[in-house]
Amino acid sequence: MNGGRPTSVRLALAAFRAATRALPAGFRATYFAEAERDLEDTLRACHARGGTGAAAGAGLAALTDVARRIPVEWWAAVRGRGDRSGAGPRPSVGERLMSWMSDVRVSARALRRRPGYTTAAALTLALGIGANVAIFTVVNAVLLRPLPYPDADRIVSIAHHAPALDLPELNNSEGTLNFYHGNAGFFSSLGAFTQAQHNLVGGDRPERVELTAVTPEIFDVLRVRPALGRPFGPADAAEGAPPVAILTDATWRTRFGADPGVLGRTIELDGTSTEIVGVMAKGFAFPDEDAVALVPVAIDPNGTFGAFGMEAVGRLAPGVTVAQAQQRATELQSRLYDFFPDLTPGFLEQAGWSVTVERYQDRLIGDDVARALWIVLGTVGVVLLIACANVANLFLVRAESRQKELAVRAAMGAGSGRIAAGFLAEAVLLGAAGGLVGVLLAWGGVTILVAHGPGALPRLREISVDGTSLAFAAVVSVGASLFLGALPLLRYRAGALARILRDGGRGSTDGRERHRTRSFLVTAQLALALVLLVGSGLMLRSFDRLRRVDPGFDPSGALTVGMSLGEGIRGRNAEGATFYRRVAYEVAALPGVTAVGLTSRAPMGEGDANGGSFYIEGEPRDESRLPPVAMYKAVGADYLKAIGQPLLKGRDLERADWEGGAPVLLVNEAFEKAYLGGSALGKGLKWDEEAEFAHVVGVVADAHEFGLREEVRPVAYLPMVVGNWSYPGMSRMYLVVRGDGKATPPVAAIRDVVRRLGPDVPITTVRTMDEIMARSVAQTSFTMILLGIAAGVALFLGAIGLFGVVSYVVGQRTREIGVRVALGAAGADIRTMVFRQSAVVAMAGVAVGLVGALALTRLMGAILFDVSTRDPITFVAAPLLLLAVLAFATWLPARRAARVNPIDALRAE
Amino acid sequence: MSHEAHLPLKPAWFHILLALADGARHGFAIRERVEKRTGGTLKLWPATLYGSVREMTETGLIEPLEGDDDPDDDQRRRYYRLTPLGRDVLRAEADRLQALVDAARASAATGRA
Repeated sequence: MNGGRPTSVRLALAAFRAATRALPAGFRATYFAEAERDLEDTLRACHARGGTGAAAGAGLAALTDVARRIPVEWWAAVRGRGDRSGAGPRPSVGERLMSWMSDVRVSARALRRRPGYTTAAALTLALGIGANVAIFTVVNAVLLRPLPYPDADRIVSIAHHAPALDLPELNNSEGTLNFYHGNAGFFSSLGAFTQAQHNLVGGDRPERVELTAVTPEIFDVLRVRPALGRPFGPADAAEGAPPVAILTDATWRTRFGADPGVLGRTIELDGTSTEIVGVMAKGFAFPDEDAVALVPVAIDPNGTFGAFGMEAVGRLAPGVTVAQAQQRATELQSRLYDFFPDLTPGFLEQAGWSVTVERYQDRLIGDDVARALWIVLGTVGVVLLIACANVANLFLVRAESRQKELAVRAAMGAGSGRIAAGFLAEAVLLGAAGGLVGVLLAWGGVTILVAHGPGALPRLREISVDGTSLAFAAVVSVGASLFLGALPLLRYRAGALARILRDGGRGSTDGRERHRTRSFLVTAQLALALVLLVGSGLMLRSFDRLRRVDPGFDPSGALTVGMSLGEGIRGRNAEGATFYRRVAYEVAALPGVTAVGLTSRAPMGEGDANGGSFYIEGEPRDESRLPPVAMYKAVGADYLKAIGQPLLKGRDLERADWEGGAPVLLVNEAFEKAYLGGSALGKGLKWDEEAEFAHVVGVVADAHEFGLREEVRPVAYLPMVVGNWSYPGMSRMYLVVRGDGKATPPVAAIRDVVRRLGPDVPITTVRTMDEIMARSVAQTSFTMILLGIAAGVALFLGAIGLFGVVSYVVGQRTREIGVRVALGAAGADIRTMVFRQSAVVAMAGVAVGLVGALALTRLMGAILFDVSTRDPITFVAAPLLLLAVLAFATWLPARRAARVNPIDALRAE
Repeated sequence: MSHEAHLPLKPAWFHILLALADGARHGFAIRERVEKRTGGTLKLWPATLYGSVREMTETGLIEPLEGDDDPDDDQRRRYYRLTPLGRDVLRAEADRLQALVDAARASAATGRA
């Protein structure tokens, strides 16, 4: 019969069936099997007579008829409710919804009557949900949300690597940019940029600002246009073109009061009057928020292969994927030799040369940050699980106290579905309350994070609790509610309730089963808590190892003050050096200052670190091999003493050296070992083929110039003026000031000195070396703190969970304990008994947790420092800490058990 | 309750009672009979048909046949028949309508004359 149904009939019947769901269940159940068959017969008849049109018309008429009838039948059903029997037909959707709403109201009243329980449960959930929403908000803003450019996923970066040259990461040179411009058809446009600091003069005092120098193609790559004015054109980047700049929205607002007539006005950059030709739209931050303006930069069409100072970004040509672009870029590398005839044959192979094309967003954020964020999100997910398990336990306790009531309801005809709906209503209310408070917590947490978060976290300012976060919060809350609501259902099927009723609601026989469910939950909780403890323990150990790394200098009590003469000082090193020295000498004379040094780059801080291949006197270059490569930095005055870096051999640079521009320098131990055969003194070195050799007069201890995580690299320390060398540059230098004892050097007095000697010279930064060190480990400490908080919450919740279960069991067994005491058991015996029971759960949790930790901490390998993912200390200490806390959580109820008075215990029943 | 209280009958009710006047029928048969009798002007779609059946059952005008005394072969269909009250009400309604028709005819005759 079914086989012969025409489609129109089938559709009409389905619609009819759906529509009748809106009718009261009783009516439907009594009449509608028949009604449906009637309708089918009618429709078939219509179809046979008048085809599809007739059948559809009849179906529509039947539907309209149902709609007309709905209010009538509901009125009748509601009016007649009193005389309907309890064992009625299956309720309709509408009826179920109505009865469920009443369950929600009943639950809300019940929750209000138990403020302690409600608050504990909702706050626990709020903690879990809030942590997840906060971290998800960060993950979403930093990792998931695309950069604010059209089709941002099509924007890629190109970077190179030459690990054998000690250059794991090289950007692009003018040469490589020209190479890709000519050869890389897989880009529809290719641009380059570089960040540079410039002195911005004007207003009440000079300022050091970050600018982004961009090639005009950047506007095509990003597909952005200024909100006001025009983008750069090729003419702006041409040699001798009048200097122009495009302001960011923030600069336009703060410096020009959002003046719409700003175009054509000028700003003074490094002493050059620069015309403003555009203002970018709000939200434009390229490459980050630090940049206050864009300036044009040209790529020399004859640029050489060397000097990798430019970052390249391209927009993929239509249809090209990132992977394809990567493949084609790799294939292109072999043609570098053709493009650069003076490239030494075999150079690329020896250097271990390779190219990476990746989504610009991925490069901007970096693997480490992404990995750390995912790990933290996973961690707070686990915290939520633990929180849910805790609330579930509370839930079960409450369900047990309601057993008799539930059993009676079941006996009076409430189906298991109806009882389930009651639990679900309560779970949903708790979930909603937890979600609301959680969102508030997340909002607070994110606000604090944005205000105090590590500068190392990219896109930090873009982070805010938005619609996506709220949607996530809703999903998490609903998920948690369903999980909670489903738990009691597993246990309170109708059969179980009947048994409870039979047992008089005392649950004397199934107490053990009930206890098992709760013990299982607590075991899972403890296992998860242990995983987090191990994870945060590994992070803590990493941080500790990082802190224990000897930086090679003495950071405590040292202050750095950055000063900048700007790019205008280029080529006039002696003049710049004289100014910086005068400042250093005057600061050294200030009271409370014991040593003052100068350097172009504070260790681990900002500043210029230059370097490249160098020449060793008496060792002709072997053209078939890679030349030696080392970084250098300029130092002056009492640098070694001020920074606290020991001199190992020879002598320090002396006043006569730097004032006379003697061709001398210092190298570190790594340099001596790597390139100078262990005896550096007297060796001649130079970085520029044309220059004279400068000779090593001293060897200093190795210092971590580039961060504690980095290996020590060979570094040369040059006086600010070295013989006839044109380097190092003088555009900015840092004073390193060591105070008397531990006292902080007098910052205000130092500022006064700089202002007096160079009224146009901006002070760029004032930071203690301790601060700089802290910043260099900020990402590790940030991850550690987040994981630590998560693990702390997990430990706390786990302990509460065990405490709850043990207390409950003790309460349940009060009578038995009373009997034991009456029979002569000592308090110690009772305590042992309680502890033994708790120990079983705890040990099970530890065993499962250790296995889980071994499996999961492998994911952390990349963010750890000098600590194995199976670090034995952590894997011993974390379980011990957990057990110690659990012992305390058990001790409280055990003590209560030991004090049970047998008379009272027996009388109570 | 006197049968007068049920008057006037809704047209659908009247036709359902009429359809059952010569014996028990099931829902679909009622529908067909009504449709035929009214020349297709009154179609009882399922919701109205069974809604009316429910109301008329509750009012006591009709009643379902119980158990084995289903006269027809079709076991899955429920049959309804008139109760004595239903028959009285049908008759009273027919009389009332007859009176109306007579009145109308009389006035029409007067008018023509």
